[in-house]
Amino acid sequence: MNVFQILANYSPTLLGGLWVTIQIFLLTSVIGIIGGIALGALGARYKELGTFVRVFSFVMAGIPLLVILFWFYYPFQTILNIQISAFATAVIALAFFNVATIAELIRGVLTDFPKQYIVVAKMSDLSPQQIFSKIQFPMIFRQAIPSLLTTQVFILHATLFASLIAVPEIFRVAQNINAVIYKPIEIYTALAFFFIITLAPVNYLAYALKRRYTRDFSEY
Amino acid sequence: MLSAKNITKYREGDVVLESVDIDIEPGTITALIGPSGAGKTTLLNILSFSLFPDTGTIAVNDKSFSFPYSDGSIPQPSSLVTMVFQQLFLWPHLTLRENITISGRVSDAELSELINAFGMKNFIDRYPNQTSLGQRQRAALARAIALKPRYLLLDEITSALDIEQVEVVAKYLKKLKTGGTGIVAVTHLINFASRISDQVIFMDKGKVIERGTKELVSKPKNERTKEFLEFF
Repeated sequence: MNVFQILANYSPTLLGGLWVTIQIFLLTSVIGIIGGIALGALGARYKELGTFVRVFSFVMAGIPLLVILFWFYYPFQTILNIQISAFATAVIALAFFNVATIAELIRGVLTDFPKQYIVVAKMSDLSPQQIFSKIQFPMIFRQAIPSLLTTQVFILHATLFASLIAVPEIFRVAQNINAVIYKPIEIYTALAFFFIITLAPVNYLAYALKRRYTRDFSEY
Repeated sequence: MLSAKNITKYREGDVVLESVDIDIEPGTITALIGPSGAGKTTLLNILSFSLFPDTGTIAVNDKSFSFPYSDGSIPQPSSLVTMVFQQLFLWPHLTLRENITISGRVSDAELSELINAFGMKNFIDRYPNQTSLGQRQRAALARAIALKPRYLLLDEITSALDIEQVEVVAKYLKKLKTGGTGIVAVTHLINFASRISDQVIFMDKGKVIERGTKELVSKPKNERTKEFLEFF
């Protein structure tokens, strides 16, 4: 059975796994972006919260994602004496990491934003809403988007770790298929193709957004 | 009138401005000269409310603000006193045209006049980083003029301009002065200062050392002023 036969024969199973992967990714991404932007913005505004964001991000960046995932799967649930599904655990663990990373990114971009751009906007008699929508947001968005997209692509790849706590995402599905037909070279090559094809739109979107919004502002 | 009385500003324990007084009448041009680190830029920042002094009083027209400030809302920068920073701070995501028109206070005819006056026709639709420093300086000046400020503060805006362009700026500043705008220009071009100014102030180490009419440039009285102007 070659790569294409595997893709053809097992496409419903692989698509089922892919759907789980996409669900984990979308949930993690939405929680991470909304939570991270909110926490980062508050961290830039309030000093104490800013310190919390920096420490939170530092701690999360220092712990391997796999450890975070397993910590949420075993000790966290034991300590609180609760039971959460493997799927929800994966989402919580990845979202924690995503929120921490994005919050620190946004906090940094907001904190380092040159105040004089705002001063000039005030001299131009722009309202606070206009200053945000016409000056701050476009500049911050352009600065943050490359790192934000890179983080999301990393999160997408990291969803594979969910297979280790038995979430039936695509990697887990591939492992299961391999357990039946034992064709590791073909299966994992098929998986690579599968990722390239399915992730191509995501990668292209990231590339297109970068090209559209991250023009080099360097002045000479 | 725009005036500052007894302005003192410290930065990390060092005095940057010490008991500085300055009065800017509408329809006049004041040149601020002096060595680097004299406190000229800090004084402009304070006059434009983009920086607050530790002590002193700033009055704009009929409003007076005493520092340290404790009376209600903090004074904010506005188009009443507009400043062109040395670093310009043109918004990098907007073209020069958008930088100038974003306030919505300049008509098409006025914009055309500014474009012609400062020779910006060929680069007005470029982004700041697609232009030279001299082009950006002209655009930043045009942006400030488009706000129709009562007082215009200029921090070394001619540093990258050639002689012809400096002449264009000088002419335009005189025109603004005639229209009633009070102008303060920090400059290292002593000839430029003496030609356009009604008042010249020499600063050094955070203090006003000497002030006078444009004659100060050719006939300084203070020894430190003489020493500084010897190089020109």
